[in-house]
Amino acid sequence: MRDYDAIVIGGGHAGIEASLALSREGFDTLLVTQSLDTIGRMSCNPSIGGLAKGNLVREIDALGGEMGHLADSTMIQMRMLNRRRGPAVQAPRAQADKFSYSRLAKETLEKQSHLFLFMDTVTDLMVDESTRSAAGVVTARGWRITSKVVVLTTGTFMDGRIFIGEYDEQCGRLSEAAAIGLGDSLRRLGFHTGRMKTGTPARVRFSSLDLSEMEVQDGDSPMLPFSFDNERIDRPSLPCYVTYTNEETHRIIRENIGRSPLYGGKIVGRGPRYCPSIEDKVVRFPDRERHQIFVEPEGLGTEEMYLNGLSSSLPEDVQHAFIHSIPGLRHAEIMRPAYAVEYDYLDPLDLYPSLESKILRSFFIAGQTNGTSGYEEAAAQGLIAGMNAAERLKGEKPFILSRTESYIGVLIDDLVTKGTKEPYRMFTSRAEYRLSLRHDTADQRLTPRGYAAGLVTEEKMKRLEKKMEDIRRVKEILQHTRLGGKSAYDTLKEPDRDIMTLGIPALSSYPEQILTEAELDIRYAGYIDRQERELEKARKAENMEIPADFDYDSVDGISSESREKLKTVRPVSVGQAARISGVRVSDIAVLAVAVRSMKRG
Amino acid sequence: MAHYSTGEPVYALATPFSPSALAVIRASGDDSLSLFQPCFTGSLGKAASSSAIHGFIMGKDGHRIDEVMVIKYAKGHGYTSEEAFEIMCHGSLPVIKEISSLLESLGFREALRGEFTYRAFMHGRVDLTEAEAVEEIVRSRTGKASGEALMRLTGSIRDEAEKAKDEILDILASLEVQLDYGEDEIPEDWVFPTERAAAIRRRLESIAATFRASRLWSEGALVVIAGRTNAGKSSLYNALLKENRAIVSPVEGTTRDYIESDAVIAGIPVRLFDTAGLRETGESVEAEGIRRTEDLMDRADLVVYVIDPASDDTPPDDSRVLAAYSRLDTAGESDGLSFSSVTGEGLDKVIDAIGRKLSEDLTETEGVPRIDSERQRGKLLEAAEALSDAEKSLSFGSDVTAMYLQSALSSLGELTGEITGEDVLDRLFSSFCLGK
Repeated sequence: MRDYDAIVIGGGHAGIEASLALSREGFDTLLVTQSLDTIGRMSCNPSIGGLAKGNLVREIDALGGEMGHLADSTMIQMRMLNRRRGPAVQAPRAQADKFSYSRLAKETLEKQSHLFLFMDTVTDLMVDESTRSAAGVVTARGWRITSKVVVLTTGTFMDGRIFIGEYDEQCGRLSEAAAIGLGDSLRRLGFHTGRMKTGTPARVRFSSLDLSEMEVQDGDSPMLPFSFDNERIDRPSLPCYVTYTNEETHRIIRENIGRSPLYGGKIVGRGPRYCPSIEDKVVRFPDRERHQIFVEPEGLGTEEMYLNGLSSSLPEDVQHAFIHSIPGLRHAEIMRPAYAVEYDYLDPLDLYPSLESKILRSFFIAGQTNGTSGYEEAAAQGLIAGMNAAERLKGEKPFILSRTESYIGVLIDDLVTKGTKEPYRMFTSRAEYRLSLRHDTADQRLTPRGYAAGLVTEEKMKRLEKKMEDIRRVKEILQHTRLGGKSAYDTLKEPDRDIMTLGIPALSSYPEQILTEAELDIRYAGYIDRQERELEKARKAENMEIPADFDYDSVDGISSESREKLKTVRPVSVGQAARISGVRVSDIAVLAVAVRSMKRG
Repeated sequence: MAHYSTGEPVYALATPFSPSALAVIRASGDDSLSLFQPCFTGSLGKAASSSAIHGFIMGKDGHRIDEVMVIKYAKGHGYTSEEAFEIMCHGSLPVIKEISSLLESLGFREALRGEFTYRAFMHGRVDLTEAEAVEEIVRSRTGKASGEALMRLTGSIRDEAEKAKDEILDILASLEVQLDYGEDEIPEDWVFPTERAAAIRRRLESIAATFRASRLWSEGALVVIAGRTNAGKSSLYNALLKENRAIVSPVEGTTRDYIESDAVIAGIPVRLFDTAGLRETGESVEAEGIRRTEDLMDRADLVVYVIDPASDDTPPDDSRVLAAYSRLDTAGESDGLSFSSVTGEGLDKVIDAIGRKLSEDLTETEGVPRIDSERQRGKLLEAAEALSDAEKSLSFGSDVTAMYLQSALSSLGELTGEITGEDVLDRLFSSFCLGK
């Protein structure tokens, strides 16, 4: 008899979703964390969502995850980004009160039945050698706790080390001890690890800012919710501020660049190109006269402000000098320094699309540990890992989302097919079918899937059914209303027409959300059709499953280079195989025919 | 590809189905040698791979069908990499037919077009673009055309497509960076690079246009000899072919339908058509012939319009028409190109003129790599169209514009190999400075 059905290691954004998914499906789950006071901590920027990331949050919500609820209950500003640039690339972004967020996350876990919380540091795994599967964990204080499945979500804590100029310390976050020992244990078990680096900017005191020297950036009104369960958000909205670096800022950074651990060679891990430190930006783009800085509130009831765009690992005296060279920040009181953090990540190529390890059965890995960055990316993986751990406990087939139906599918497929060399962030351009992946359709795409898997509640499913019915009715009304010789439906396909100004009385009883969604469906129908044809091709390849024990050596037409890659990744479908970098197109054609003929034979 | 298979024994005639000194029949598939052995007097089992074995092919009732040489290929050696053999028999049509039906009775099925190449591909002997080019070498009829197909193997089309892809990728990356970062970070609106896109489009279209020129080389130019009845068309036709395949008679309207032959004129492969004479007629059979002639003239790459100098006929006004005046020996020199089918005088000038006229088409597109498949032409035009759709869609939403640019890329990608989202991101990161 095992102590628990499942153990989740880590209480960050991935651990929250994984433990909730498991316990909500009825499995006794233990969440082990180094500190109960830092559950759901937002280590870096105080915001949730953003382009592509906002879509992830809504998809997590559509599947029965928690992140949307947490963000909706704690947001202090919300904006819809890319309003001018087409609905498929729009997404919501919210500033969150990071203290309330963390507290609410802990409260949510505490209220959940079947979920148990325990504070300790996991240092090793228990392994059932006969089946080569995970059997439990060993902790720093000597506990040996058994379970049938284990989910690892350790973020940046595994052998984490922070850097501020010449100063460095073994931490996962500033002044929070790194998890030491687990990395070595995993390497002993045969896991492939690497080093990655990320960073965070300084926090400054609100009352020390010169607000008059900065632009004010207000949020949208009304605020829109992430969760499909919420109709509106009724919360106070705080502004953000915008300022810019200048020649003086850049001079200070250039003169002190030798004191950066990034340039001094102390940090070996690879940092994200899309979120470079300010010293990186100054070095890589010497022609830029200024860089934009967003000054964002960290929460209600706190004066700490986050300097978005100024992440750095330079010594604190240099940080003070360059921050004070920026308008609005000339007298800023610096409360926390910027720092870089370097940590162990596990190669995601060692994972199946279910996020189960290929090296150890019943062992699932999610979040920043897999080489990603961002709360949303972590939460999405946590949810999928939790759901798949539950499927394993039930003895069901893995729960896998495809690239054609979700950003989550794109995220995980990219990770387990291509691996990653830098912290992976979601971008809309990573999704080849993004016209079909609008944030407002996440529920249509995924709620039925979550319901079938047993995570989505009856109530949520009913709400979706009502919404679909409403949209259908709205379209019907539009088809039957004549406007200037043609149907209102066709009128909406013309540029510059707006469903809100058509003046059709029968539509007035429907919420704006429903009307807009119906309108977008109609306007984009032609383009979606075009994409749908491409999608069909992709689905065909996706549905061509490759058996787990497929013998690549038996197909003599595959080049040896491709063969090695295929054997490493062991793709589950011909579609996935085609996306492995460096595998030749003609080899895929050979593989496709071989798989097909095998099925026939 | 659905009907192709590997392993299953297949055969095909590798030489044209026409009377000739020799014909080659190929066969490939599992156990094909032992299937064939009972009907062949030579011993296949002992012979080394790639060696030729002499013997007789015997019918099921024991009669000798033909004396042949058979080349044996052990598994892993021949073109398909399967167990295979080639029969070199006499090129008489009844013999070819009899051997074919014998092979079918032994369990061989007639190979589908391209199936040998498909098998070679499936066994890793050739890759996709090579497979395509091999097809074209097989099809091409002149030295120049096979040279072109060989160039394809070294990838001049690939280079062009890569260049265009690179340019489009640049445009797409500059748009994607706007879509992946909010208005806060990049407040400027994206402007469609009209000039740049137009240049790419023109280039793609001009490559696509070489399809016609390439087809001239590989399939042969369609040359139609037309003119009034009894103008001397069939005599010219025969003179050009240097053989008596059309009936030449002084009675008007003998050639009621058209007759087709393959020839090489001035180095260019030509499908030469002799047609029914054009004249008003009440006879229905002949009227049908005339209708077909007009049809052919519409499709022709070149019409040699033969005129009897004694008549009042004038050539039709069409850039594809070459007027030629007959009966140089009896009627003497006319204003235009004159020839005599009887003495052969002036024929060399007619041939020169045909060659010049046909090559006009080919020089128009110099400096542009030629394509020779309808599929490639389709992909190039698809990409060009997607580019112009991208521009038109900008007022609708830049997410749709990006989709069209992506679709242009994937059309080109299908010519050369796939393109991934990673390529776009790499480009984006190397060219832009981003904060958030």
